[in-house]
Amino acid sequence: MELLIVTAIPFLLAVFLALPAVRSALDKSAQTLLSSLVMAALFIWLLAFAPRLQAEPTVIQSFDWIPSLGITLSFYLDGLSLLFSLIITGVGALIFFYAGAYFDDASEHNRFMIWLSSFAGAMLAVILSGNLLMMFVAWEMTSITSFALIGFKGGKDADAREGAFKALFITSCGALALIVGIVMLSVAAGQMLYPDLGITLVADIESILKAKSLAQHEWYTLFAILIMLGGFTKSAQFPFHFWLPGAMSAPTPASAYLHSATMVKAGIYLFARLSPVMYQNDLWTSMLLTVGLLTMLVGAYFAVKQKDIKGLLAYSTVSKLGTIVAMIGLPDQNGLKAALVGIIAHALYKSALFLVAGAIDHATGTRFINRLGGLRQRLPALFFVTVISALSMAGMPFLLGFLAKEVLLDAMLHYTAPWTQLVMLVIVFSAVFTAMAAYMLIYDIFLGKPRSEIHFHRPSALINLSPVLLSLLSLSLGLLLEPLLLPLLRLAVPKVFELSLFAGFNDVFILSLAILAAGFVLFLLRKPLIARITFPISCDMIYREILAYVRWAGTTVLHTQSGFVRYYLVIILGAVAAVLIASGTLSNIAAGQRLLPTDFSVTITDLAKIFMLFLTVAAGVMTVVVREHVKAAIAYGVIGYAIGVIFLIDHAPDVALVQLLVETMATVLIIIMLGRIRASIRLKMIEGLWTGRHDYNLGILRDLGISIVIGLAVFVFALIALVNRPERDSIAEWHLENTHLVNTEDVVGAIVADFRGTDTLLEIAVFTTAALGVLTLLARGRQTGGAFVPQTLQPSSLREFDEDVVEEIQDATSLSTPFTRSVSYVVLPVAILIGIEQILYGGRGPGDGFTAGVTIGLAVSLWYIVFGYYEAKRQLPWFRPELITRLGLVLAIANAVFPIVIGKGFMGHVEFDRALGLYDLIGSFGLHITSSLIFEIAIAITVMGGLGIIIEAIAYPTARSNGRQENAYDEHETMQHV
Amino acid sequence: MIEFTFALAIGALFGIGVFQLLRRDLIKAAIGFAILFSAINLFFVAAGAFEGDFAPYVSNVEAQRQTSDPLVQALILTAIVVSFGSFSLVLGFVNIISRRYDTIDSNEINKLKH
Repeated sequence: MELLIVTAIPFLLAVFLALPAVRSALDKSAQTLLSSLVMAALFIWLLAFAPRLQAEPTVIQSFDWIPSLGITLSFYLDGLSLLFSLIITGVGALIFFYAGAYFDDASEHNRFMIWLSSFAGAMLAVILSGNLLMMFVAWEMTSITSFALIGFKGGKDADAREGAFKALFITSCGALALIVGIVMLSVAAGQMLYPDLGITLVADIESILKAKSLAQHEWYTLFAILIMLGGFTKSAQFPFHFWLPGAMSAPTPASAYLHSATMVKAGIYLFARLSPVMYQNDLWTSMLLTVGLLTMLVGAYFAVKQKDIKGLLAYSTVSKLGTIVAMIGLPDQNGLKAALVGIIAHALYKSALFLVAGAIDHATGTRFINRLGGLRQRLPALFFVTVISALSMAGMPFLLGFLAKEVLLDAMLHYTAPWTQLVMLVIVFSAVFTAMAAYMLIYDIFLGKPRSEIHFHRPSALINLSPVLLSLLSLSLGLLLEPLLLPLLRLAVPKVFELSLFAGFNDVFILSLAILAAGFVLFLLRKPLIARITFPISCDMIYREILAYVRWAGTTVLHTQSGFVRYYLVIILGAVAAVLIASGTLSNIAAGQRLLPTDFSVTITDLAKIFMLFLTVAAGVMTVVVREHVKAAIAYGVIGYAIGVIFLIDHAPDVALVQLLVETMATVLIIIMLGRIRASIRLKMIEGLWTGRHDYNLGILRDLGISIVIGLAVFVFALIALVNRPERDSIAEWHLENTHLVNTEDVVGAIVADFRGTDTLLEIAVFTTAALGVLTLLARGRQTGGAFVPQTLQPSSLREFDEDVVEEIQDATSLSTPFTRSVSYVVLPVAILIGIEQILYGGRGPGDGFTAGVTIGLAVSLWYIVFGYYEAKRQLPWFRPELITRLGLVLAIANAVFPIVIGKGFMGHVEFDRALGLYDLIGSFGLHITSSLIFEIAIAITVMGGLGIIIEAIAYPTARSNGRQENAYDEHETMQHV
Repeated sequence: MIEFTFALAIGALFGIGVFQLLRRDLIKAAIGFAILFSAINLFFVAAGAFEGDFAPYVSNVEAQRQTSDPLVQALILTAIVVSFGSFSLVLGFVNIISRRYDTIDSNEINKLKH
């Protein structure tokens, strides 16, 4: 349970920060303090696991997730994941604090923190998950949050958008490979949980045997490469490294956190985690080593060429990531040891340097190295931080970075393979360039001539705190090996783990000093040297080429799109028919099925139905042949009513009620809509079609042909389906027999609100979405070329629209007679009463949540029609559709989730009255308070709100500037002309 | 016999709906869209596994009376409301199109596109 809570807390923090109340109540500094304290608390909590891990090597906690598929929500903590999670929370606490000083704007800061803490949660989930699938889900969450953070300034900054897209594109392509690889690995191993896979820190016989058999598996090459692709893209390995420099358009705290200390290490974590499973095949180790070394070289070489501090840091991060990947590729434990020390050292010095870059940007407005210089006096604290951290990066003795380099060189000296000499050369070469970059950071920014032209404003002193703390850690951790660092490392690499900061003047120490010296020589020669660093082709160019091809393919395909519905219809139906016929499905279906009804008897009810069906078809034909749109709309209404009567004859009272109500609403809607479309436009269409102008009816035979073919096909399918429908062996039987279990009389209501409740939940969500779509189209989207008009839907703001109000009332007068007004006054309360009755007693007779919602919705829409928008708004201040809809959805979701809390599962049936001991009391009114009833109430509220949104959007007055707008009531005049 | 009539009506309504969609008048196309919904709802009610002479209430079931199929009814119930939502969205689109292009003729809008 603890690990689940640890993972959930950052997400909860994000939700908490997103709450409107919190946003207004807590100011920036309070939010900063809170979020960094939360992360610090998590750090301490995780640290407290260390003694426990000394006793037992792993902590495993598991919950059911999708039990039917055997997928669990499992958490796994061992020395390796502890180390990573401590970096995430520890560095996280400092960076969360820094972000408070970095952002000036409080709302930007809040938005940033929401994303950053979601990311922290996702990252913790990657590290702490105990099976591959859950790890993958979290992995993708880090990509998405990273996208949002890189593109944080995307609103005004095209680079940020491009960088975010690039990062997401590369990492999600990798993730696609990864998921396939994971699934193949799980199938090959027959397992998905870490312990079952043979993931362990101490290799025992069993895990070695497992790894050996896996290495022999015929799929090994494929899934190893796929998994490695996932890790390489995530950890910015060559040739996918270029997204990382592009990601530098993120706000600096995000760069420091995601793109240096944590997320880019996810790939490394994956390799380290899977190495005990995968290492028995040379493909794994040699690929990691090769790609890692290449990345190390490329990153170090191009870092010094960067003009932007963050660019330099990004390339140097790429180089370090390459080093670590290569170390994991070493076949012995020395490699893992070097990798882990490297990860800790890098997380500390690189995030400190990033934070310095952000502070300098904040203070001077630029991050370009050649525009900076001599900042030592002005930013002494940052100068201190940079000296320590950059020297740690270079590997200056007795800093933490030195330790990392020492272990690295030591591991390489232990490595015996034919290519050792070459590998050593690559490492030394990269290290020299890294040292050169470190000197450049110190000298070119802080020493040298002060630049007078840069604008300088002193940042708040708080911005210094986090980088200073990080650099103090770089300084001291190397000296405090035994009490702090070593116990943790021993948990992760349990084999003999000894480490000392100074092991005497051995080869490694001398080599380190030589690297530092060589780096200094290169630093002195940097001007001519950097000018020579060029390369004719970059991975970024290849990426752009590929994107250009994708775009070309897109535009090419677009040419085949004519925009005419008929072509799409013909192509879709033709393809379906071709597939059905060619695959033989059609003849399979037809085989053994009757094509004609056997029973030709006709009862009286059948006669009634046949008459109604005839009516629907006749009305359908009417919609085609009548000229005026209004008549077509009324004919459409006839179809709806006739179908409603059929439902009634078929003993479906609930459905018939909804059908009749909704059909009324739909017909009213068409007629109001007609009023909003300028009469001249409609007249032009009608005249074109009906005064015999030849070109308007071109292709009518073709369209007729298409529709007849489709109609015939539907007829044949419907006939076969209806004639051959199964007899009573349907799941409907089950519902009929079990409805009494959910305390209701009405089987249909029970299905809607209980048995198939999840469907209904989704359906009201879809309905709400459609309603919001209408609102966006009609009431919000109208204001072109300007900001959205603020909520004029609030009655309190009506006074500003006094003139409009007058005009609106005058508009409405044509329908606003004393009679209609009094009817409206009477209808609404009656409708509300009917609605309440239908919800409460829907279990006994016709009616349910849907009918209740539509009934009240209809009554309200009558108000909007009779009184007009503003007057209705003024007289019905409580009717705020958006709020009502929100309320309904929240109620529905809460009602669906609540049963989980009491252990009944999602949408379980809860009898509230029985639980409260009021069953008999309430039951005496013929009522039962159950979760189904609450769901019906939620449905009613949501449907009412959705209808309200639609009708309000439609009644919303159109812009006055275009002259007097047409409205529904002009319809009468129009009709006389036609 | 009643199956045959239902199938005929469903086919006819479907054909009418498609025809409306193919023509140039967007308002009638929207109506055609709604007719397609009606045809499908009609198919659902006809496709119920059994017919009955009583509404599907528990009391009728307990009295061993032959009720109508509740499952298709539940399907239609939600389908009606959702299709109303999509229909209003379509009407909203027609309205916006008429405003932006000053026409409700789909052919003219196509010409504007190129």
